[in-house]
Amino acid sequence: MSLINWQGNSVPFIPGETVASALLRAGVLKFGSVTTGQPTSVFCGIGQCQGCLIRAGGQIREACLLQCHEGMHVYELNGGRDA
Amino acid sequence: MLKPQVLVVGAGLAGLATAVELARAGIPVRVVDQAPTLGGAIHRQPLPGIRSMSSSAQSKRWSTVIANVETQSSAITFHFNTRFGGIDHSGAALLTGAHAALIRPRAIVLALGATEAVQPRPGWTLPGVMTAGAIQTRIKTIAEPPAERVILAGSGPLLLAVGAELCRLGRPPIAIIEASRPLSHLSAFRLPLNYLVEAAGYLATLLQARVPLIFGAHLTQISKTGEGLVAEVETNKGMRHYRADIIGLHDGIRPNDTGITESNVLPILRAGDCREALGARGAWADGVFGGQTLAASLLGLVAPLPSREIKSERAAQNLLAKIYAHKGATRLSDLPVDTIICRCENRSLGDLLSLGTAPTDRELRLDGRFGMGSCQGRFCAEWVRKLKAPLEPAPRIGAARWPTHPIAIDDFLAAFEDSESKT
Repeated sequence: MSLINWQGNSVPFIPGETVASALLRAGVLKFGSVTTGQPTSVFCGIGQCQGCLIRAGGQIREACLLQCHEGMHVYELNGGRDA
Repeated sequence: MLKPQVLVVGAGLAGLATAVELARAGIPVRVVDQAPTLGGAIHRQPLPGIRSMSSSAQSKRWSTVIANVETQSSAITFHFNTRFGGIDHSGAALLTGAHAALIRPRAIVLALGATEAVQPRPGWTLPGVMTAGAIQTRIKTIAEPPAERVILAGSGPLLLAVGAELCRLGRPPIAIIEASRPLSHLSAFRLPLNYLVEAAGYLATLLQARVPLIFGAHLTQISKTGEGLVAEVETNKGMRHYRADIIGLHDGIRPNDTGITESNVLPILRAGDCREALGARGAWADGVFGGQTLAASLLGLVAPLPSREIKSERAAQNLLAKIYAHKGATRLSDLPVDTIICRCENRSLGDLLSLGTAPTDRELRLDGRFGMGSCQGRFCAEWVRKLKAPLEPAPRIGAARWPTHPIAIDDFLAAFEDSESKT
């Protein structure tokens, strides 16, 4: 089974699916919070709202567009140590 | 140096139709799309090994599209997982992602599709609340429902489409809450036959699965409890409460034209839903017409006549809008003052009201921060405009300007590594 790592936890994914898609199946709805405190999560699902930003590979990415890769480490926008 | 190409942004129906027409006229085309494959939103392709959720009519249309694209494959280059960021004063276009580059196309076609309108209401920023389109994207890609219990609410035919797809996955939605009363309009029968057949199919699926279809009702508030979300629904028989894990909101389709503007140095054509939201049939027709028009202008030939199909799709969409008309937007000013209007910057109705009765664009943006977040006002400008400047026609605040989305410095650097301007 293919896995990504979300905040230290293994999350399975279907080859080709996005980080947002895999996290939703795992029951992860809240992706973090922005500096003003409100939680972040998937909203538009197609890269327009910027609501699902996460950190991967040292960059800020839209979870709804970013494809999962085996062993990829993914973190909340303002939390966790980056890979 | 490469032969100058036309850059087409978006590999959905409109982008593909435009690319095919340009290629037919002998003009090389480069098509970029942020997705890993062609299809756009309507014909989003399932991942390898996942079953297709397309109806037979959709599959038939898609086969025709693919056949058309294949006849011109030698003149069309596809770059997937690649995003268009904007163009500079010299006409250089920025591409980021898999095929990052700074290129110099002879013209640009923007076929960026649609944006969903979602009217603000308390709790619409909670995790688990997403657009109905986001749910549909998931269904088309991986043929999986987003959760055990789903509620769809707002207004528009998409709610029925997504509801029916959930039924086909064996997870009928808890309820569909539609603000208008589309079934009580006799004029609905004047819609084109293919619209009626599609709608009848959705309704039959939903009724067979005994999904409660609540018309003339408004989802007024969403709150979070220990075991998920609670939707408060105002019906003509009083308030009802529904529990759900995921709530899909949708209040219509708008052109996805945020951030896109004109250029003094090269032609920019908009095609499909990002020019005018006319649905799938309209998007293909608009792409064909746009491609022929652009080809004629680049080659110095006579422009084609306006397409009859676009006119008839526009009439059908206008009729659909009348059937789905409701007064839900009047609720905006009665929302609790702490209701978030701007999702990006967490700005509330109270923040908007504190700007006075007739704030200028500048005050809305610089003092209010409305339309200044990373979505660039896609999801708040329409409501800010309705609340603060209801008589002005254009549903935007502030001027359009590049880029179309936030771009990381790394992406800029990668594009400059492969810049045609260096050659």
